Amino acid sequence: MSGLELIDVSKSYGATPVLERVSLSVLPREFIAFLGPSGSGKSTLLRIIAGLETADSGEVWLDGERIDTRSPGARGIAMVFQHYALYPHMTVRENMAFGLRNAGVARDEITRRIAQAADILEIAEQLDKKPGQMSGGQRQRVAIGRAIIKQPRLFLLDEPLSNLDAALRGRTRVELAQLRTRVDAALIMVTHDQAEAMTLADRIVILDDCCIQQVGTPAEVYARPANAFVARFVGSPPMAMLPATIAGEEAGRVCVRLAEGTVLATAVPAGELVAGTEVEVGLRPEHVRLAAPGEAGLAAQVELVERLGDRTFLYAKLEGGAEIIALEPGFGTVRPGDAVTLAIDAPCAHVFTASGAAHHPEPRA
Amino acid sequence: MKGARLHPLVVMALLLGAGVMLAPMVWTLLLSFKSNAALMADSGAAFSGPYTLENYAAILKGSLTLQWLANSLIVATGATVGVLVLSSLAGYGFARLEFPFRRTLFVIVLLGLAVPEQAVILPRHQLFAMLGLHNSYPGLILPSLTGSFGVFFMTQYFRAIPKELDEAALLDGASRFTLFWKVLLPLTFPAQATLGVFTFLAAWNDYWWPLISATTSDRFTLTVGLASAQMNYAQTSGLGFLMAQAVFASIPILVVYIAFQKQIVRAMAGTAVR
Ligand SMILES: Nc1ncnc2c1ncn2[C@@H]1O[C@H](COP(=O)(O)OP(=O)(O)O)[C@@H](O)[C@H]1O
Ligand SMILES: [Mg+2]
Repeated sequence: MSGLELIDVSKSYGATPVLERVSLSVLPREFIAFLGPSGSGKSTLLRIIAGLETADSGEVWLDGERIDTRSPGARGIAMVFQHYALYPHMTVRENMAFGLRNAGVARDEITRRIAQAADILEIAEQLDKKPGQMSGGQRQRVAIGRAIIKQPRLFLLDEPLSNLDAALRGRTRVELAQLRTRVDAALIMVTHDQAEAMTLADRIVILDDCCIQQVGTPAEVYARPANAFVARFVGSPPMAMLPATIAGEEAGRVCVRLAEGTVLATAVPAGELVAGTEVEVGLRPEHVRLAAPGEAGLAAQVELVERLGDRTFLYAKLEGGAEIIALEPGFGTVRPGDAVTLAIDAPCAHVFTASGAAHHPEPRA
Repeated sequence: MKGARLHPLVVMALLLGAGVMLAPMVWTLLLSFKSNAALMADSGAAFSGPYTLENYAAILKGSLTLQWLANSLIVATGATVGVLVLSSLAGYGFARLEFPFRRTLFVIVLLGLAVPEQAVILPRHQLFAMLGLHNSYPGLILPSLTGSFGVFFMTQYFRAIPKELDEAALLDGASRFTLFWKVLLPLTFPAQATLGVFTFLAAWNDYWWPLISATTSDRFTLTVGLASAQMNYAQTSGLGFLMAQAVFASIPILVVYIAFQKQIVRAMAGTAVR
């Protein structure tokens, strides 16, 4: 079994559980993002994989070998730290050579690998500088260089972009995307920024409440969130959640009655959703728009208008107080305080039961 | 700072201060170049020629001054090396290792800061007498190694080094020793320099303990030796010789100051931990 395998990993600090029976498989060369709110245990899980933290129970396997019993240096893992953690008293060259020397790599092999990494990362001119003489972006590259030079089987990156300014972040994001094509290893990146996770990762692991909430491709977690938490967490602005009850079914699909009375015919299979069940109806902004003149819809009061140039988000309140977000193309003319009518793309609505379980729309056969 | 112009009044005040500080040193220096006989007649003679090197010649020829100088160097160097080694190891331990009673032990170290030497000097004297350590280099060096300050200082310094560096080194396959020796210790060099200079100066200038412990003149340190040479308390004779000894004694200190100027200034400015 190659790749990384986590089996029932649990960890608590004192009486506070941080991870509870977390299991995960990562394929070789896969780019995984750990996404979750602050304090959800992303860093802790990463550090358990690296060996910087010991799990209370569970196993970590890499390429068919159990590694949680090994010291961090003997796991074939390289890590890029949030604050880079470059050795301040060593030059860039020495920083990169340190790990290889400890591993007993031959001197000319070290020289060769440094030259190669410096070439790829365009830091050849900086090799004799100390980290203190470099900019944040350059340090970031050195930190990446120090990791790839070890030719690890797994890369770990803890919030690699969080210390960079906006312009540099965009560029580094591109570089990270290129990095994964150059290295023969799986990559796990921790982030609390969903745009990063969405753009870079093959699969996203969403963590919250000590558990993995969902593992899936960016498209999957966006289109078919496993539960109400993921639905709220992924997407910017997030999915609106409207309180409703199941009104009945029509051709095997449920109809829901919103709190303010409107009935929507969704494309969600009825299954065990029986009439009268209290649910939440999830609507992405792109499935809510301003109604055309004369078109029926939901009356709402606009509270906030977010103009992004090419599109505009309208944050509005329905009668009864439920909050909803609509998407309008272009710059728009609606102003805060305006009363509007919103048309809803009901076949795109998701339904979440009180326990948080998700029911997704399905196209008619 | 560079380019900022000081107000003339400030400059004058600084010059005045510097003059007050320098005057006794210049006077000492001038006295040391005068023959004892000339000074006996009139100590004001220091401000006019003829000047002579006879006092320095006397030091190098006859007296035990060179032996005392060597003793002081051995004692101060021994104390410095000892304090640096012990404080670095203990500081690393307190800052980074988990072991039973770590907090309690650290509190005891802190309490040690509050114990004045006067409180322990009698029992120490008796202990050293029992162990036969008086009139020996270990007897002069060991008390310096019991100071808490270095341990406290180095602990704080190690604590200020981000733990991420340890973790990066562990992932780089470094052993605990490699981590300490190649990564953390080099980062503490500014603190080592500061602590080293202060320990050296304190040991060099110490008078009380060598006065008690070293009773044979060949074990005197320079401070005790110079005082013992000062037989005539009225200082009516031998003033030139005495001043030459004082100048001679301060040469090593001067060298240390010049070599470690940066560290001393930084330590004085309170920015040593950075
Ligand atoms: N060394 C520690 N001691 C005690 N609690 C910790 C420690 N490290 C992390 N925690 C706690 O564990 C939880 C998860 O932390 P972390 O993995 O850093 O979250 P994330 O990286 O997702 O923001 C947090 O509530 C944090 O307070
Ligand atoms: Mg974190």
